[in-house]
Parts: sequence; structure tokens; C-alpha cells
Amino acid sequence: MTGNDRASEKPIPSPDADSAQLWRGLRDGVLLLQHCDKCRHVQYYQQGMCRQCGAEDIRHRPACGRGKVHSFSVVHRAPGPAFKDDVPYAVLLVDLEEGPRMISTFTGGPPEDVTFDLNVTLVVEISGDGTALPRFRRS
Amino acid sequence: MSETTLRGKVAVIGIGISPVGKVPGRSPLWLAADASKKALADAGLEKSVVDGVLSCHAFASPFHRFSVALSEYFGIQPTFSNTLQVSGATAATMFNIGAAAIQGGLAKVILLTAGDSLMTGLTPEMALRSMTESRDQQYEMPYGIPVANTFAMTAHRHMREFGTTAEQLAEVAVVSRRHASRTPGAQQTAPITIDDVLNSGWVTTPYHKLDCSLISDGGAAFILTSAEHAKELGIVNPIYILGGGECYTHEHIFLMPSLTSTGAVMSSRNAYAMAGYGPKDMHIAGIYDCFTGTVIMMLEDLGFCPKGEGGRFVADGHMTYGGQIPSNTHGGLLSFAHPGMPGSLFHFYEVIAQLRGQCGDRQVAGAQLGLVHSLGAGYATNATTVLGTENVL
Repeated sequence: MTGNDRASEKPIPSPDADSAQLWRGLRDGVLLLQHCDKCRHVQYYQQGMCRQCGAEDIRHRPACGRGKVHSFSVVHRAPGPAFKDDVPYAVLLVDLEEGPRMISTFTGGPPEDVTFDLNVTLVVEISGDGTALPRFRRS
Repeated sequence: MSETTLRGKVAVIGIGISPVGKVPGRSPLWLAADASKKALADAGLEKSVVDGVLSCHAFASPFHRFSVALSEYFGIQPTFSNTLQVSGATAATMFNIGAAAIQGGLAKVILLTAGDSLMTGLTPEMALRSMTESRDQQYEMPYGIPVANTFAMTAHRHMREFGTTAEQLAEVAVVSRRHASRTPGAQQTAPITIDDVLNSGWVTTPYHKLDCSLISDGGAAFILTSAEHAKELGIVNPIYILGGGECYTHEHIFLMPSLTSTGAVMSSRNAYAMAGYGPKDMHIAGIYDCFTGTVIMMLEDLGFCPKGEGGRFVADGHMTYGGQIPSNTHGGLLSFAHPGMPGSLFHFYEVIAQLRGQCGDRQVAGAQLGLVHSLGAGYATNATTVLGTENVL
């Protein structure tokens, strides 16, 4: 496969040994966060041990889906042909109610709707290739 | 911090740069080797004395072990070598590690070099993709995050928290262009105004095209050796490494502890502590300027002005001649050249040339102490080096 072929397709996340549950959860429409049984730390992204205390007693629980925009940037120049039809789109850093921050994009409205501290709600969107991605819409 | 110190133990005795900007028909290895020849000539040395080589990855080169490939290309067989990778921060880490290797006895004369051809060796699309692909393919890439985006979100938050304005961001680009206009060989030298920046079209808010650094070809090289050996060689104006510091706060942008305060606070604090000097003592700075807002945040985090005041600091003329800390007097990544990894080495080249007093009509009068700060990957990586002349040892 040449570079140009790959550039025209959106990157498809391939789950690794640490993250298989997250992507299975998303296919079922939920965003799983990791809760440490030992120190109560809540984390995103998914890994085989708690980032805070190193314990491996980690429980996956669905996020409630509520969050707030900490920062954002509206992309006008796409990173390659795969995203050319999507511009302009807003990339968000969302603070989830459970604590973790995550990166995602805004959906369900024009990017101009995005403001700092906007309350947003999780939407799991399935793309044409079957990839389930967590995105956020205005609450 | 460690009890031992690099302070004053190692000197930069040779500097060289290749042609920069659009350099068609030249490979990354040629660009690095061309700069290396010039650095050796500047030091008055033959290549046979080089026993250490430090370099970093080049996007337009197929070689994973660039420092090893470069040694073969350049016809040397060093006994110390490494190809370092901490994104944009690599430049300053090369100086810090090079100094440590010399002090630790791993090498006597180190060639430190990088070359890449992002402008003519890759298509612009490939250049952009080569950088976006350094983001995590599971958690970041699927959303279509261009290279500018992570930096843009930090700048946007800075505007929100501190009232930094688009005009203040643009001023960084305007000053850098003015500086480049006096630098022989700079890629972009035509004067620009704040309005030019604001009307140059969005890339990713709050960044316009002219808030973003260039895409270029180019290479740079330096020769490092111990202070004692520099004396034995009779080097006229050795520039000493006085302090080095690094800090790695996160990998993913969403785990950056604060979007408006970076690892540069710690890396520079450690570098200053080793050097025995503070930010107010610096006469000149080379500040990684991949985007305009980066410079504003770094002026704060490197201690040149209080947190939140970087925008006003720049607007008041403090990053140029006559101001508090003339920065990027060659034009920086925004206007001199940005071939990827070698980009931040040009800041070193300029600061060292300024400390030697070789900068002609863009010379900062009496410059004895300088700082270079390199960073990368959405502020994931930060590294600082403090340099000085014999007078400030």
C-alpha cells in the first residue's frame, strides 16, 4: 500500500492489549473509564495498571457521558485528504464529570457553537468503516 | 537535582549550517554532512578527530539509525553514537547529552548534527502526515488532529485565561520576520504586518497560516569537546555549556497537567540552577517557535515575564532589540527555516554566533549569556540549555 492510499483513508484505531475493552464498550455505545479499586483514581485512556498507584485491580465502568469543554480548536486545514470533506470541525478537550480529560470532536452542530465551558454530552458515532468513536454534542 | 554538574566542562568549538529553505536535490544526509564539514572547518579540525556522533531522525530519510548512516556517509567510524528522539526537544537534549558523554569519558570530540528536507524531499501533504502520525493512533489520530492543533488548543486556553489577543500572537510573527530580514539565507524575509497575519487564513483556530512555522530543507552541525581540549586546540572563542535541563510531563495532549504551564518551567529551572544564572541574566534567547503562541507561553515559563503576561511582553517590544530578551534574532522557525528536527539547532547556531559576537548588523551588543529552549509534541517534551562565553564561567 502506498502512502497516498493510506492518506485518503481515516486512521482506524487498532486496539492493543490494554485497550480491547474500551473499543468493545464503544461498539456497545458506552465509553468505559477505568476505576482503580485500590486508590480510587479514575483514568482515560485504557491501560493495564493504575497510573497513580500501579495497582492492577481496575474496574471498567461506563462514563455518565456529561462533560465540559476545557479548550478547543476549529480545524480549517485538514491533516491530509481523509479529513478534507470534514472541515471546518472543532477538536475538543473535554473534562468528563468523572474527572478524566479526553480529546474528541464536536458533532450535531456547526463548530461555531463551541465555546469554553460548554456543557457537552457523549455520543458514540459509528463511521462507514464500522469504527465506533466517542464524540460530543451540545447538552 | 544531581550533585554533579556539566557547568563549564564542555565547549562548543565549531558551528555550521547548510543552505536552508528550498534546497532541491539534496538529501537529509547531504544537508547534515554539508553542515558538518562547515562546523569542522570552523573549529579548524579534520574529520578524523571526531569520535562521537549524535543526531536524530529525518522524515525524508529512510535510515532509522540516522547518526550511524551519517557517519558512513561522512566517512567516519565513531566510538560513541546515538540517534535521539524526543521530537522538537531533541536539539537541546543533544547538547545536554553530548556534554554529559564528553564529561563521562564516552567521547572526546562530538559531532552533533541533523538534516532534513521537509520542503523538497517530501510533498507538503506527506510532511504534514509524517508529523500527524506521531500522535497516538488510537486516542488522537482518528479525530483528524493536525500538527498545529494540540498547540492551538493550548494557545486558545491561554487567551481564555489571560486575555492574550490574536494581535499579540501575530506580533511574534511580525518580529520574527523583521529579524529574518537581516539574516543571510533566511527563507522568508519580506516584511509582514499584524493585519497580514490575521488575514492569512485559518489553519486551526486561533492560528492563521502566518502564526505557523515554515516547512523547509536544511541542516546544522556543531563540534563539542571538553573545556581542557578546547584550550589545547587553541580555540579562540569557545562557548561553554553552563547548564542543561529537561522535563517530560505527558505523552497525550489530554494528559498535559495544565494547558498553559509547561515542562519548560522545570527544564529551565534546572538549567538555570546548574548554570548559576537566572532568566534576568540572559542577554539572548533562542525559543522554539513552532507557533506564535508557543513563544508567548515560553517567555513566561522560561522566567522572562510572569505567567499570563507573555502577550503584553511581546507587544511591548521585549522579545526584540532594546527589549528585555532579544529572542530568535535569526528569525526562528517562523521565518528563518523549519526543516523539522534541525529547526531548533538553528536557534543554537544563532545564539552561539551571537555569543561569539559574529552577527554583524543583527548583533546583540555585549551578549555573554544565552539560553536555547527546545520543545515538541504538544509540549510533551521540553529541554533547555544555557550557554556562555569564557567571561561568565
